[in-house]
Amino acid sequence: MRKKQCIAMLLAGGQGSRLGILTKVMAKPAVPFGGKYRIIDFPLSNCSNSGIDVVGVLTQYQPLELNSYIGSGQPWDLDLSNGGVFVLPPYVKGKIGEWYRGTANAIYQNISFIEQFNPDYVLVLSGDHIYKMNYNDMLQKHIKNKADVTIAVRPVPWSEASRFGIMETDENDVIVDFEEKPKNPKSNKASMGVYVFTWSVLKSYLEGDEANKESQNDFGKNIIPNMLGDGRKLIAFGFEDYWKDVGTIESLWEANMDLLQSPPAFDLYDPKWRIYARNPIMPPHYVGKGAIVEDSMVTEGCEVNGDVRHSVLFAGVRIDRGATVEDSVIMPGAVIMAGAVVRRAIVGENAVISAGCTVGTDQGDIALVGQDTVLPKGYTVQPGAQIDMDALAAEEEGASK
Amino acid sequence: MRDLMGVIYTSKNDLTLRELTASRAIAALPVAGRYRVIDFILSNLVNTGVRNVGVIMQKNYHSLMDHLGSGKEWDLHTRNNGLFILPPFLTRENVGTYGGILDALRSNMGYLRRSKQEYVILTGGKSVFNTRFDELFQQHLDSGADITLMYVKAKPEPLVGTESPASQKVYIGVDENHLVTDLEVSPVVPSYTNQYTDVMVLKKSLLIHLVDQAYAHSMHDLNRDLLQQYIRNGVLRVNGYEYKGYYRQIESVLSYFRFNMDLLDYNIRRELFMSNPVYTKVRDEVPAIYEEGAQASNSLVADGCIIEGSVENSVLFRGVRVGRGAKIKNCILMQDTDVRENVELENVITDKVVTFHPNGRLIGQPQYPIVIAKNTTL
Repeated sequence: MRKKQCIAMLLAGGQGSRLGILTKVMAKPAVPFGGKYRIIDFPLSNCSNSGIDVVGVLTQYQPLELNSYIGSGQPWDLDLSNGGVFVLPPYVKGKIGEWYRGTANAIYQNISFIEQFNPDYVLVLSGDHIYKMNYNDMLQKHIKNKADVTIAVRPVPWSEASRFGIMETDENDVIVDFEEKPKNPKSNKASMGVYVFTWSVLKSYLEGDEANKESQNDFGKNIIPNMLGDGRKLIAFGFEDYWKDVGTIESLWEANMDLLQSPPAFDLYDPKWRIYARNPIMPPHYVGKGAIVEDSMVTEGCEVNGDVRHSVLFAGVRIDRGATVEDSVIMPGAVIMAGAVVRRAIVGENAVISAGCTVGTDQGDIALVGQDTVLPKGYTVQPGAQIDMDALAAEEEGASK
Repeated sequence: MRDLMGVIYTSKNDLTLRELTASRAIAALPVAGRYRVIDFILSNLVNTGVRNVGVIMQKNYHSLMDHLGSGKEWDLHTRNNGLFILPPFLTRENVGTYGGILDALRSNMGYLRRSKQEYVILTGGKSVFNTRFDELFQQHLDSGADITLMYVKAKPEPLVGTESPASQKVYIGVDENHLVTDLEVSPVVPSYTNQYTDVMVLKKSLLIHLVDQAYAHSMHDLNRDLLQQYIRNGVLRVNGYEYKGYYRQIESVLSYFRFNMDLLDYNIRRELFMSNPVYTKVRDEVPAIYEEGAQASNSLVADGCIIEGSVENSVLFRGVRVGRGAKIKNCILMQDTDVRENVELENVITDKVVTFHPNGRLIGQPQYPIVIAKNTTL
């Protein structure tokens, strides 16, 4: 492999357990978002648009859907002979084989992968966020400041600051203090989980961290505090544009709804910063006679014959005549049949909402129907409830007793 | 994997589509919201398992080359076989343009010889349908015919004065044993109802022989000069295979208009897109957005559209904008057409990147849709 100045390592192994039944059979980065994308399209497109052409994707939890989605990396122009996208599951080395124990350990286990490219810098990303960011700007700042690590930070509301890793910086953006989830935050600059490391420095810290049996092998909890304690140069890279952690059902729903604002809170139309996605190979969508589609996002392969308001429809969704969908996110291939009413809900891939079903209400928490779930006729899903095939089977069992 | 290769020839002068084909071949014509005409035949070949496809191009092949690229969308970017783009080239024997399909094949004899497959599907680039050629190929093998021509039962369509009724259609006579007895090129009143689809299957060695013979006898037109003669004098055993699915040839503005409108029918749409995948070049557009107050009815809308006005019985290609108060009815609006506020359009076909400034009104007739050329601003 030829030398690269900077390569990216994308942490995509997390389960995303707060997404409930949505991540039962797929990793969080594979969760669909915004009509035709998946969460991982955003970091991958950012890499491609930033000119970073080696991306290692570290997978561990339910990787099948993610692996086949990434494929050769062609949609992101990452199917290259000199570089490209590499899926990196944990593997057995000599007699030892183990899972990725933490974010830092995952990178540690792939030191030999990274060394193949002999990079000067390594960009560490997570696959959980919706944002557009030029990593090259960040890299240039890192190089200019001769930093050991540069951390992307963004201001968050003070009330939420205690949920994040909080940085305190001086007037030159040098990080003077860092606290992971502080009770009394001294600043509202939160880490976005995007790091540029000088590789030689990171490598020695990974090795040191690995030797410490007490460590949780985590960037936020161990590596960054250690570097700060040793007086290493930590620089903050400020980012103020749209950024959304889609780690919960509520935030995933919200981020989708953000796309419907006019003008959208998150602009997908920038011709210089396209977000690429694997194409579903479907015809344009069809809107039938008597259908109502307003204030909504609709993509290829949809057949809309019912009423759709303020909603996001993914590829191949079918809304039958007489069905009503409002304030909802309908994932690829789902079917909403006549007389069904879906409000403030997320309907998973290929789910079937049969005739007369009610999912969610116009207020209250987001209702969730899992992937491949077929709701029986007239079934009701309460706000905040999560229903999938297992839940239906359990209910049936309960009823027969 | 089949012992079968495909050769698609795109036509030379397609003047029958007015401004739409002024700078592109019919094969490169955008259809159905996000496709080009050639996507259908190319996808048919790929879905049949053909791994080696040559595309013969004539004049104005720029847009076609741009569209096909390396063939990766059709999985034809492989080391062995794959997509071969065959534009005219100058040599001592070639003069740079092809007089007919036979000249084109002769120029590309090297490609034919080098290809490893035993059989060839030779097809035009103006047809839209979705099938696998399995049955056609099997019939060809079983029947022992030299050539098998695929045909459809022509559906009578209302004639319109402005369009030449016969255009360039080819009709064949087929007897009860599937034997082709006659072939008519562009008849005003055809003797047969069997319309040839420009799809034939034959052995590659026979095709090479025919091309050689044609050159020796200075024949240029495959249908008119060569096939007709060989069918009449019975030198070759030519069979017919009837295709019963949806089929249309794009050879006039009206057939172009009708094909797009056909897609508003659920059953046709399902047959054309859901039976086998139709591949095309990807443009990475954002999903379509319907703003508050938008109205859409019986329309096909591609990604990248932003709709604020009303759209009825229409096909909108990628990136079309319909401004507030605008009314679109029975229209085909190609990529990046920009319809501003309060514009009213009916029976209009716009080529790419046409802009309508606010408050205009343009009403065509269903039998004679208005065609607006590429990059026009009104």
